Amino acid sequence: MDDEYDVIVVGAGFGGPVAAKKCAEAGLRTLMLERGARVGEKVISGLTIPFYGFLFGPAFIRDGNPPIERPADGIINYIVKDIATGDIEIDDTLKIPKPLSPVLAFGYNAYCQPFCEWEADRAVESGVELRTSTVAVDVIREDGFITGILTDGGEHISSKVVIDGEGCQGLLAIKAGIREKYPPDAISLADCYDYEMSKADVDRIFGHTLRFCWGWDEQRVAPPLGFGNGLMVWPYRNSLHFIQDQSLETGSGKVPSLKDFDEYHRNITGGLPWWREEVAPHIRLRARMWDGFEIFVGLDERARKMPNHTDGMLLIGDAAGLESTELCDGVPAAWFSADIAADVTIEAIRAGDTSATFLKRYDERIKAHPIIQWSISRTNRHDLRYAQQNHDIKLLRKLVHNGWGLGGFTHMSTPLLRTVLDSIADEPAIVAAWIRMFPRYYYNWLHERYDGEASSRRRPRKVQTLGHRAFGKSLELLDGGLARFASPLRKAAAFLAPASAAANPVMKVILPVMEPVYLAVIRFLEPLTDPLSRKLVSFVSRADPAMFDNPPAKGK
Amino acid sequence: MARTSEEFPGVEWVQGAGNFITIDKDKCDACARCVKVCLGGCYEIADKKARIKSLAECMECAACWFVCTRGAVDFSWPPGGKGYRSSWG
Repeated sequence: MDDEYDVIVVGAGFGGPVAAKKCAEAGLRTLMLERGARVGEKVISGLTIPFYGFLFGPAFIRDGNPPIERPADGIINYIVKDIATGDIEIDDTLKIPKPLSPVLAFGYNAYCQPFCEWEADRAVESGVELRTSTVAVDVIREDGFITGILTDGGEHISSKVVIDGEGCQGLLAIKAGIREKYPPDAISLADCYDYEMSKADVDRIFGHTLRFCWGWDEQRVAPPLGFGNGLMVWPYRNSLHFIQDQSLETGSGKVPSLKDFDEYHRNITGGLPWWREEVAPHIRLRARMWDGFEIFVGLDERARKMPNHTDGMLLIGDAAGLESTELCDGVPAAWFSADIAADVTIEAIRAGDTSATFLKRYDERIKAHPIIQWSISRTNRHDLRYAQQNHDIKLLRKLVHNGWGLGGFTHMSTPLLRTVLDSIADEPAIVAAWIRMFPRYYYNWLHERYDGEASSRRRPRKVQTLGHRAFGKSLELLDGGLARFASPLRKAAAFLAPASAAANPVMKVILPVMEPVYLAVIRFLEPLTDPLSRKLVSFVSRADPAMFDNPPAKGK
Repeated sequence: MARTSEEFPGVEWVQGAGNFITIDKDKCDACARCVKVCLGGCYEIADKKARIKSLAECMECAACWFVCTRGAVDFSWPPGGKGYRSSWG
């Protein structure tokens, strides 16, 4: 053996640094291996990281200042029935209402490279040893236990536990005998275009709104429906990400020709009026790249049942098949699973037992995580195929609404409410951290304020108005109240948590009635809420950002 | 040393990646699934077998490996620090 660690984390993507940082903070000697020369340079995705990843994920991300490209406050869905005649329906029901928007966002758009690098830098600050340009080519096995990693440089590195965050290809997990290659219909290939666009044009044309597109096959504007397809546009700070994705097998063993992506891209950019007339004149192609992700692993019974751990090894994120089947966003699950894997690793090493029997608690906690289980098991996107096959516009409308419109609340309310209550039961002070996160992230986005060297040095003049003082004082009072009433709040949240099971059924009953009323009210109030929203943006922009930082932790 | 491509801007390929994808000709039945899913145009069919023309524009997605039902495609990562890289993913 050349070297010896408590923990080796394979891969410095979104999940790896989270696990590595937590292990190092617990005093474990931790090594993180990354095959790229620079962290994040091999990670490709169009990316809105949903708010629940930040709220309920690792504290250092929620309470820190990661590099954000743009807060996202809504989705406009284009349902293309006939692009030639312009027969296009729109579902734009999912939007954060003003004046809360855009300071309050449902997600944050980000480039993978700087975000992963930001995470890895935080891990290194906590004592993690990072080795880039290093591939973990195989595991080392002794008496059935995984006891380390063999690198492409021929180095044997030993560890008590390996945390594998390699990604959806899962080569190391296959070599370790834990998993098999995923079936091609569970894998989607994302074809990603990055366009430069001035910030003023992104602000004017997109604001903070994502654009998704759905259509019949013969329109050839988006890959065939229902097989992991989609066509999505993310507005960034001064650029756009355009993604179309397609499963590698589309039923009856048929493999699509992915060269068709070129045609879809041409048809949508030339045929869809908003792109052709409003967007195209203002953009310049900067990059085109692609990667696969395991979108439907959660729906494949055999793949879902593959183990996520063995003696001395745990799998996290995409390596554990935790991609969201519906939102095709694996970052929250990567963060949650990395956090859990670190907890279990720390417990195992302290107990001196890294056997699969001990590590099974990782699997149990993953299966008990309401958001992970919801996100890897929803069939909404997969079911689009039936709407497509039957040209059933009513069903298509419903599925789009349930996936990327307000209808999402008929199935996401229970897991989100459950996680809110579980988090409060664990630590009530988190409520103040949630409230501070949104204005801090918005401030950071406006002024390019990040932890680390990438941060812009330009800052606006701080203004302390009566409003700022009142807001700051309110947060202090909230901190005090949460601390003072922590015990009853914990008990109340734990008592109410089981009742969260009723949230989805209740939403199913009330949403059909509430939705039109809600949408009418927010439209009616726009003349009032628009200026208020601008005032809120100005308030956050000129604040002293220190007021959005959490008070130093006093420990539980 | 890094190379760029006109067809796929914004990506660099660091030289020295080597033959990290190989084809077992005995197992290949020339079904061309690998050819169909490769956006980088790395594959062709020659003499009734799949053949790797070049990995110069390979983005290491492993689509070819996922779709190969006969186990003819062997996929591994390029050596550390080699192969594609991008700041825009």
